[in-house]
Amino acid sequence: MLNLIKRDLLLSFYSSANFFFTVSFFVLILILIPFAIGTQSDQLKNLFKGVVWIALALSIIITVDRIYNADYEDGNLDIIMQKNKTIEYLVISKYVTHWFIYCLPLLVILPILSFLFYLDYLETIQIFINLFIGSFGMVFIANFVSALTLGAKRTIFLKAIIMIPLFVPFIIFGSDAGSWPILLGLSMLSFVISIYVTAYGLRLYGE
Amino acid sequence: MNELKIEDLSCKRGESKVLNNINLTIKSGETLVVKGRNGSGKTTLLRILSNFITSYQGKVSLNDLSILEDNLYNNKFNLIGQKNSLKDNLSIKKNLELWDIIFNETLDHAKLLEHDNLDHLINRDVSSLSDGQKKCISLYRLNYNKYEFWFLDEPFVYLDEVNTNLLIEKINQFNENMGIVILTSNINLPKKFHKEVNI
Repeated sequence: MLNLIKRDLLLSFYSSANFFFTVSFFVLILILIPFAIGTQSDQLKNLFKGVVWIALALSIIITVDRIYNADYEDGNLDIIMQKNKTIEYLVISKYVTHWFIYCLPLLVILPILSFLFYLDYLETIQIFINLFIGSFGMVFIANFVSALTLGAKRTIFLKAIIMIPLFVPFIIFGSDAGSWPILLGLSMLSFVISIYVTAYGLRLYGE
Repeated sequence: MNELKIEDLSCKRGESKVLNNINLTIKSGETLVVKGRNGSGKTTLLRILSNFITSYQGKVSLNDLSILEDNLYNNKFNLIGQKNSLKDNLSIKKNLELWDIIFNETLDHAKLLEHDNLDHLINRDVSSLSDGQKKCISLYRLNYNKYEFWFLDEPFVYLDEVNTNLLIEKINQFNENMGIVILTSNINLPKKFHKEVNI
């Protein structure tokens, strides 16, 4: 499992353009808000708390093809699955690397963005905690969608249609300041479902 | 001494039966060449032997223990499929680093690539290579040498005469070290190959 995490981190370091695209995409979506509604601080504040979740959801959707599909298409998934007989370990390592590569950078730049949108320290910390917990749940969902649609080409729209309704609970509860326990529950539920469904999807691919 | 035995093996892919009552035995030091028409089940057979396909009729056993029950079996074979397992946007050197991590074995790439006449490719991006060169690099994975079996799916496709002979030499050496090779190919190979089967 540690080998796979090391390998995926090294691969993302070598293909760092992907990582910058995701961060840029996230920032650009948020930057669009003032253009659409103006720069009045109260409106911006309220909208930011909700739109940041939409930006996170879209950023995760655009990365979904890189979880398993890239390795499936070039044949590396065969080697990886052969070397990791317990597929659940493989899945967990993918959760770790996917979150680390694509969600952590978004959380790191979140404080800078929130100050630009007139949020104070307390509000920033509250959003950060919610996003931190909720992003895990969204990663779990993205993983099982990626595994179940493995081998299907040019299906990013299909994946988005499956994933967006599943992200809705996170978006609903995510913008409330004290809702982290609910998000934690949702993330844990997503983990339990995702680990079995993702492993099932990968075994199905092997067949 | 290993003995890989396939007994009454049948397998369906979708609605069609691709393998029908296959019986084979292969022992250490032997090579089996699997021949057959397109879609006859050659790749399916290799994927069954590699434990990717587990729903089939019949029995596949290594030394009388079913491969489905042998927890160590997956560490005993090296499967080279039809895909090259190379990242197109990276150089060969970076791809080899990634393989080292997956295989958990650090090879002396400079020396081995030189031996295979591939050292001049090390800094090239995979996307700039020909299909034949990609195949050679893909077969370079045979240098990860902790394995007792090689399963090779169409290994000679895209290879020129020099590289074909180099691969045959490698297979013979592996056989001499009591390794078992099962490969799919429709080209006529030298008589050195011990067994041939049509499916």
